[in-house]
Amino acid sequence: MEKLSFKNILTIIFLALLSLVFIAPVIIVVINSFKGQFFIADSPFTFPNSGTFSGFENYINGIEKTDFFGAFFYSLVITIGAVGLIVLCTSMTAWYLARVKGKLSSLIYYLFVFSMIVPFQMVMFTLSKIANTLRFDNPLGLILIYLGFGAGLSVFIFTGFARAIPLEIEEAATVDGCGPVRMFFYIIFPILRPTAVTVAILNAMWIWNDYLLPYLIIGSDYKTIPIAVQYLQGGYGSRDMGALMAMLVLSIIPIIIFYLLCQKYIIKGVVAGAVKG
Amino acid sequence: MHSSLKKHFFIFLLPTLIAFTVFFIVPFVLGVYLSFTEFTTVSNAQFVGFQNYIDAFTGDSTFLNALWFTVKFAVVSIITVNLFAFLLALALSKGLKGTNLFRAVFFMPNLIGGIVLGYIWQVIINGILLPYGVDLTFNANYGFWGLVVLTNWQMIGYMMIIYIAGINNISPQLIEAAKIDGATPFQILRKITLPLTMPSFTICTFLTLTNSFKLFDQNLALTAGAPGRETSMLALDIYNTFYGRIGYEGVGQAKGVVFFLLVAVLALLQVYLTRSKEVEA
Amino acid sequence: MKKFLSPILAALIALLAIFTTGCMGKTDDMNNDTQTIYYLNFKPEIAEAWEEIAKVYKDQKGVELKIVTAASGTYEQTLKSEMAKTEAPTIFQINGPKGFVNWKDYCKDLKDSELYKILSDKSLAVTSNGGVYGIPYVVEGYGIIYNSQIMDKYFSLDGKKVSINSTEEINSFDTLKAVVEDMTRLKGELGIEGVFGATSLQTGEDWRWHTHLANIPLYYEFTDKNIDLAGDDTKKIDLKYAENFKNVFDLYINNSTTDKKLLGSKSVADSMAEFALGKCAMIQNGNWAWSQINKVSGNTVKQENIKFLPIYTGTSSDATQGLCIGTENFLCINKNVDETKQKLSEDFLYWLFSSSDGKKFVTEKLDFIAPFDTFEEDEVPGDPLAKEVIRWMKKDNVTTIPWNFTVFPSQNFKESFGSALLSYAQGKHDFETLKNNVISAWEKESK
Repeated sequence: MEKLSFKNILTIIFLALLSLVFIAPVIIVVINSFKGQFFIADSPFTFPNSGTFSGFENYINGIEKTDFFGAFFYSLVITIGAVGLIVLCTSMTAWYLARVKGKLSSLIYYLFVFSMIVPFQMVMFTLSKIANTLRFDNPLGLILIYLGFGAGLSVFIFTGFARAIPLEIEEAATVDGCGPVRMFFYIIFPILRPTAVTVAILNAMWIWNDYLLPYLIIGSDYKTIPIAVQYLQGGYGSRDMGALMAMLVLSIIPIIIFYLLCQKYIIKGVVAGAVKG
Repeated sequence: MHSSLKKHFFIFLLPTLIAFTVFFIVPFVLGVYLSFTEFTTVSNAQFVGFQNYIDAFTGDSTFLNALWFTVKFAVVSIITVNLFAFLLALALSKGLKGTNLFRAVFFMPNLIGGIVLGYIWQVIINGILLPYGVDLTFNANYGFWGLVVLTNWQMIGYMMIIYIAGINNISPQLIEAAKIDGATPFQILRKITLPLTMPSFTICTFLTLTNSFKLFDQNLALTAGAPGRETSMLALDIYNTFYGRIGYEGVGQAKGVVFFLLVAVLALLQVYLTRSKEVEA
Repeated sequence: MKKFLSPILAALIALLAIFTTGCMGKTDDMNNDTQTIYYLNFKPEIAEAWEEIAKVYKDQKGVELKIVTAASGTYEQTLKSEMAKTEAPTIFQINGPKGFVNWKDYCKDLKDSELYKILSDKSLAVTSNGGVYGIPYVVEGYGIIYNSQIMDKYFSLDGKKVSINSTEEINSFDTLKAVVEDMTRLKGELGIEGVFGATSLQTGEDWRWHTHLANIPLYYEFTDKNIDLAGDDTKKIDLKYAENFKNVFDLYINNSTTDKKLLGSKSVADSMAEFALGKCAMIQNGNWAWSQINKVSGNTVKQENIKFLPIYTGTSSDATQGLCIGTENFLCINKNVDETKQKLSEDFLYWLFSSSDGKKFVTEKLDFIAPFDTFEEDEVPGDPLAKEVIRWMKKDNVTTIPWNFTVFPSQNFKESFGSALLSYAQGKHDFETLKNNVISAWEKESK
């Protein structure tokens, strides 16, 4: 650590102020979530006073209207399920693609890479049509859809790291009579574990917040958090600003908790993902 | 060994490949095909050649408007996000007190989803404009700068993390040596830090470019295109064409293909251009 | 090594758990052999009532009724994505002849249905080549809703400048304008923030103007030109009565609670809340607004003080003009779902509009004035606005204006009209531009 020169103190003060600017929007939403719904648009930057304070009314309204806990449950199941499945399946695929050489193998690899740059709107309609025809329009089906649609980036990242695993390790294991499945779970996956964390974090951030894909495929029957928040806009015949503020706060809380718990992994994950990506 | 792995393709390769084929390859190919047809459901598609593509550009001005809006937005966000992220990264890689805390705070908005972000900023921006007697829908410029601010708030932290990693990779001896040779901090920045963080620039510009082009949730929640369709970006315009108008499914799909080609070409071009800079460095 | 396996195992177990619960949910449905019908609801303000009906119907008939409600302004969008699904809506609604053109491949002919037989005025249905494809399920009326308490207070003020002494005496645009402008002058004394509630011009919240208000000048235009609404002559308009639209629209935005430039982020709910809280005296809306006014917490407006006034626009017919009464809600049965479901859907609708339990829901929870002869004279909603609509329907010497906006070309037309209105309100272009935009958008969308 450098000594605290005048310039450094200035930088720290500046950074501290900037941090406040970064947190302010969240704080403003929290403050407004305790105001009556008609006082929000008129004076968003004031603290609630005795006339405008509404206690937890917005939270109660919002939770009732949106069935927030239901939405939270669906978001959680879909995110955990999809991330688990993606990590498991794509790491296996990546190791296979890294080790089995051949034209077909590299064709498949490049198809995965190619899929990373295709915007969702390109396949929006056809994907939801297929998902519906095959009866994948439920949370479980959505998990499998995420595996298919999200495989590209994950395979790409895993393959990069799998290629770097020294062949000697695998050869030694083969001599010991270890089959591919055993070898993968006992040797390869443990080596890929840091990468698995990266892949899991990147996918979790995307899937938890994803709106359009779940909306089109399961939106009319199951509402995830982003769908529930968006539906507050006109879905109940009236736009309740108070309930909206409260739901924004409730949807941020799990993210903040997750972030505080896994900050180290998240930041590492982002860096590792970027280096390969 | 590898032959036995090959035999186990049904465990290793098949699950992912099936899901990938069914939920990516097939929809993609079908999407390209449908862009040349008129359809409401897939089964009643009628081949119409390039008509949908012509309609996409000439039918009404929304697509071209969205394209232009998106390009402007992408240019401004790429510059601002990367500039601020890099400056923050410089400040945070000096080992100052509180670095970890600052880094954590700056990164936080990135985890919040686009829909939620959009509504947060809608309230704030409308609040700021309130004393002037106008709101976000008053002028497309407000929506534009609103989106830029939002995007900066969201992406700066992410890019900053990548830049920090890049800067930390530079060997301290190199900088020490430069200092001994009497280089000013600015010279160190220009001759050492910048060239050696070029790979980070490649990644960050790539990420900001593709993210800006694909932006949807934030756009939907913040302005939903208001006023009129003036602040619709490409993704939102395609969505509106597709689901908002009967008989425009083919046009929507054609717009989707154009959108894809655009993103693909830009992404490749960008990687090619910045990678070539890396070699020079 | 076990340490490394545990996350995978955990994930697998979690997946397995989802699988089994997911599958069990499915098989349950099948074992009970319950049939599901699906109604895509257009009216978000009564979504909860529909859910209640679904519950009761399941208890009584064992038929599962799935209700999905489209967010306001997104019905066509939602209908389109839902129709593409395997479990498509079995009951949906169209907004009239124009909607029928879009959805004709899905609408079942209901000529022989029980529901059509009980429809009191058969001419209200959407018909085509002798078939009946859409049956209206609600008659609604709109006009200017006013709070008679505030109006009475105004008329008792010494400082008032108009010569009339009660709201009932207002029977032309000029009187309305004089009263409104005088009230704006005295709004401090009246304790209101503006005479009219916010003219909500947020996208999706602007239908009161581009659809309902615009209906009146277009009704007069079509009547003058003797146009057959079912024919092709509606493909072009020249907005002969544009000035009359401007009269009222200007009155709304110039005497409002909200500054003109802020209207783009106001929703219908905002303005209904203003009315319910006594912040404004008048508001343009229909009888469906009752549920919204009623639900606002801190509501200060008494039931008996909520009244309707026709929207006078300054035409020569002002004196005899009544409310705008009609329907844009026509129920359709999806003919592409399997026949049992079509039958069950018809049965449900017949139950709703003919059985005593069903009718009770219709009048008490949905607050519908139902156009079926199964409803007795006294089986009407008890809410003040519905009563007002019925009162105006029965008045002598008053011409009710029908809902001609069912021939408006498309949702896209309405949206562009809405954003042109917003720009006009914000002062970005003048009325002439607005008028030309509307005329050309109409022609373009009528192709």
